[in-house]
Amino acid sequence: MPSLSELQRGFAGATIFSDSAALAGLGIVAAGLDPATRIAVYRNNVFGNYRKALAATYPVIRRLVGPAFFDAAVDAFVRGYPSRRGDVNRYGADLSRFLADYPPAQKLAYLPDMARLEWAVDQAGIAADAAALETAALATVPVEMWSELRFLLHPSVRLIESSYPILHIWRVNQPDAEDETVDLGEGGDRLLVQRTGQAVVIERLDAGEHALLAGLSAGVKLADASRCAGKVDSAFDLAGALQRYVAAQTIVAFRAPDLAQGPRR
Amino acid sequence: MRSPHVARVRAERPRLGWLEVHSENYFVDGGSALVALEALRSDYAISLHGVGLSLGSADPLDRAHLKQLKQLVERIDPAAVSEHLCWGRIDGRHLNDLLPLPFTEEALALCCERIDAVQNALGRKLLVENISAYLRFDADAMTEWDFVATVVARTGCGLLFDVNNVYVNAVNHGFDPHAYLAAMPSAAIGEIHLAGFDASGPCLIDTHNARVAPPVWALYREAIDRFGVKPTLIEWDADLPALEVLLDEAAIAQSVLEEAHAVAV
Repeated sequence: MPSLSELQRGFAGATIFSDSAALAGLGIVAAGLDPATRIAVYRNNVFGNYRKALAATYPVIRRLVGPAFFDAAVDAFVRGYPSRRGDVNRYGADLSRFLADYPPAQKLAYLPDMARLEWAVDQAGIAADAAALETAALATVPVEMWSELRFLLHPSVRLIESSYPILHIWRVNQPDAEDETVDLGEGGDRLLVQRTGQAVVIERLDAGEHALLAGLSAGVKLADASRCAGKVDSAFDLAGALQRYVAAQTIVAFRAPDLAQGPRR
Repeated sequence: MRSPHVARVRAERPRLGWLEVHSENYFVDGGSALVALEALRSDYAISLHGVGLSLGSADPLDRAHLKQLKQLVERIDPAAVSEHLCWGRIDGRHLNDLLPLPFTEEALALCCERIDAVQNALGRKLLVENISAYLRFDADAMTEWDFVATVVARTGCGLLFDVNNVYVNAVNHGFDPHAYLAAMPSAAIGEIHLAGFDASGPCLIDTHNARVAPPVWALYREAIDRFGVKPTLIEWDADLPALEVLLDEAAIAQSVLEEAHAVAV
């Protein structure tokens, strides 16, 4: 008789990988229905659950490739990128990476970026809440100290860059959108995904805004983030951008330099 | 309760004894789902029903999953916390399904050890639920009902008795469901589940996408006669119908409970 771990390993092999030797080792009681048919019920349930869960997370990908392609891609993804959690809602982070290498998807070069966008939208919806930045506290910081501040972004914030017009593609593939053709050559996107109140919004950024937010999200000082923005946009309006992102709660907190170490020379 | 019905339940507050949700759907850091559950929590008792803790896995107990469950329990202060008597994870891969255990001494000891650990971590009684199964193992050393009753006796956990799963297994594996009922410890039963199954496949499949079948209602009446009045939930998790259909099914269960109560008085 197999041990419990041998039996469960065999069960996973027989369902996920259709491994017939593993199936034979399970010692399934036939009783009117052959073991292969019985294990197939589980195989259908398991893959069916993942197809449904990932269809909910990646509706645009599914619409772009069609249900049959999508289901086959999900099955291959499940075999190559195991779920690690008992919470199926958190499964699918690696779909973008999978699609980049998935031979049947090579003709649709924008798919991996679209998967990153859909994952960002999904995760932004369940990220932690955060209170708005206390502007009164910020007002107490002397202006000459601002360059040393590190600003924290709302936990739901995700930044996505693509050389394809993925926001346009995303919009025309929403359930209520009108049919429209998107020209892949119309240019790339820099996007900010964020939950505002209870709604997830996607906003286009220009090069300077993207550089600023990317710097802040990496935890660098305002002076350094601002320098990055200035490099890609010599006319970048830092004060205006900060005001806008504080008001929109894209920026929700700040950290002053560690006073215990004294001011940097 | 599933997300498409949350808005109407919040707006109309139908007369329901309590609400049950899948715990994992609220393993989130923030966002609208948690806000909605906390709002409903002030008007309804909440039952947290888990599907991913994998009590019977040969893999070690998933402490991160347990920690998230504990945080949710502390936040919601539910009337009941339940999980399935099954496994779902092996060698770090989760199959995100309710998979059948062999009814062996090894599996029994493991489940009891895990239930003890979960009850200790949560500081409260766990209800464990019997599952539907589409196969049996040669390794079985006892009946399903002996396995379930022994788990309850050894750990002091409660039982979430799923009448539909008993019926499905009785048909699929050819046993008399009354023997199962007779072995169940009445006092430990904290909740009863009812659901619809799918009879179009090679065996009965517990799909939670249909009305409760007549023979399951009959078995439910016998269960209530035997166990007394128990909180009862109709599970409907896929192909969701209008809220009215669910309320109608719940009314049938309520009438069975009221008949039983009248006889008892």
